[in-house]
Amino acid sequence: MSGMFDQFKSWYEKRHDYARAWKARTGGQVVATMCTYTPEELLIAAGMLPVRVLGAHEPQNVTEPHIFGMFCPFCRDSLAQGLLGRFDYCEGVTLTQSCIQYRQTFNSWREHVPTVKWDYYLPMPNEVQSRFAKAQHYAEVKRFRSHLEGVTGKPISDEELKRATAIMNENRRLLRQLFEYRKETNPRVSGLEALYASLTAQFVDREEHNRELQRVLAELPKRKQDRPEGVRLMTIGSENDDASFMAMVESVGATIVIDDQCSGTRNFWNEARVQDDPILTISDRYCERPACPTKDYPAHTRFDHVLKLARDYNARAVVFLQQKFCDPHEGDYPDLKEHLEKNGIPTLFLEFDITNPIGPFRIRIEAFLETMSEEELF
Amino acid sequence: MAAGDKKEYWRWAESCWTDDSKNWRDARIVTAGIDVGSVSSQAVVCVDGELYGYNSMRTGNNSPDSATNALKGVLEKSGMKLEDITYVIGTGYGRVNVPFAHKAITEIACHARGANYMGGPTIRTILDMGGQDCKAIHCDEKGKVTNFLMNDKCAAGTGRGMEVIADLMQIPIAELGERSFDVDVEPAAVSSTCVVFAKSEALGLLKSGYTKNKVIAAYCQAMAERVVSLIERIGVENDFFITGGIAKNSGVVKRIEKLLGTTAAATKYDSQIAGALGAALFGYTLMQKQGAAAAKAA
Repeated sequence: MSGMFDQFKSWYEKRHDYARAWKARTGGQVVATMCTYTPEELLIAAGMLPVRVLGAHEPQNVTEPHIFGMFCPFCRDSLAQGLLGRFDYCEGVTLTQSCIQYRQTFNSWREHVPTVKWDYYLPMPNEVQSRFAKAQHYAEVKRFRSHLEGVTGKPISDEELKRATAIMNENRRLLRQLFEYRKETNPRVSGLEALYASLTAQFVDREEHNRELQRVLAELPKRKQDRPEGVRLMTIGSENDDASFMAMVESVGATIVIDDQCSGTRNFWNEARVQDDPILTISDRYCERPACPTKDYPAHTRFDHVLKLARDYNARAVVFLQQKFCDPHEGDYPDLKEHLEKNGIPTLFLEFDITNPIGPFRIRIEAFLETMSEEELF
Repeated sequence: MAAGDKKEYWRWAESCWTDDSKNWRDARIVTAGIDVGSVSSQAVVCVDGELYGYNSMRTGNNSPDSATNALKGVLEKSGMKLEDITYVIGTGYGRVNVPFAHKAITEIACHARGANYMGGPTIRTILDMGGQDCKAIHCDEKGKVTNFLMNDKCAAGTGRGMEVIADLMQIPIAELGERSFDVDVEPAAVSSTCVVFAKSEALGLLKSGYTKNKVIAAYCQAMAERVVSLIERIGVENDFFITGGIAKNSGVVKRIEKLLGTTAAATKYDSQIAGALGAALFGYTLMQKQGAAAAKAA
């Protein structure tokens, strides 16, 4: 990989150092956020740094007393990071309701992570398709604003909310511009590079992140891609920050060209539609974003969205990165797989745990790629 | 019994064979496939796309050495030298560590191709029961994989699990299959999800009065149920073929056939060489096509 994405990679690898340095530099509060439905605009408007909790993919032995073993590895790994003090620089922790398993992670964080000074549970409706959902969420986001005003002891003005929304919208827009390059034949942006860029948008100061995106976008037209494209793949799942997995896939004859994951496109795909009321601007945006399976009923809106992404980015095949025991995604899987395969897109299912067996995964990926190539062997 | 006298009941027979009716020196293209698996390694040599010889042995703690030793057996038996082999393909867990391989291909593709040769072009579903994993594979009439599934991180339903039971029962592994049918009543399966649990359960059954044969039957049934649950996820399309070491265990194979309601296609070949054979056949096809392309260019 050239140095073009090194800053994103460095942020990814040293995310805790970055947050500590930000705090020392600005004096602002850092807030651990759980789930990408968290309306980060409010935290930014309050002068805080929202930092999404991610796992470390290391064996750990601290979560057993707090969370069921059959809850998903992302829940357990995220809890482990709190219990191990990796986020000891965070004053606050907040969860916006998505899945019940992650709520247990949040509950345990607020009970057992001693450095947490305040917490907030934002009960976002799961049935965002209900005609009552937006009004309900609007009221909840307003309550969250009041809570943050209580934490800082000063009001959050509408102007501050509008400015934060503009920063977040710019971040979303720049990431989409970056992802446009992935539509190219032999894209100038690899899947691993895109992961570094989109994931760091969830814990780096968004204005700083925007500046880095602008720098990369200015350089990209001059970039010549010299790696072989191989088979164009899409990934689907919940959260994925496994850089070593992405690197492995792209080293064996594939390029990951698009995703439907909360670590990727689901987080930034839609900008907020600016309305007169800045809270309404923010609350509507989260109800309208590409849905996580927890919020995609009674109609399955994500099925056609996923298919469109696959087609727009000319993905030859899809790899499901399934967090073990993630019920919402497992519930969608059979029908989504059928939907894609009926439309001529073959799929592969991989089950992710806290630590992932790269060797066996490599066999599966290579064998999957072989089903779509290697015609010279027959 | 002194430690040095301990019999290794798990140890399966290694084998080396060459087809003396063929003269490899007359061949136009000689190719080899090397399958370095987690438990066993095989080298297969093909002459003009036909099986000529193989060597099947236990994998050591070093993939390059295992590959070298496996091929050495065939070379010594045939008087062939490595330079006489036109093209080598590595497969299996150690596929990228075969020092003299020109190319690496997954064992999933190679088993399908090998099964196509061993069982014929009507084979559509392959169950590869390997040393430490298990794969259900669909393929077309050319032996090209169309779909596959692998088991997860557990040795249950694999050759290593059977080795553990052979040692526990102190019965040579090659006898387990037949002995599993020597029971008055077919027992229920032991735990099918974990080899360690299955071993504990087997000990408990022995203590409760089960004969060794009945415990073996319970384990064979568990292994059959485990792999059938895997294969049913992609479905069985006939003809059905089993590769890997466990294909030699009639106690498991017959129970699988009963559960699936189908019969595995018979073969005159050693089921353990399917992966290496497929690799050698891929090598032959590649060489043929390269030769044809060169001739066309000339």
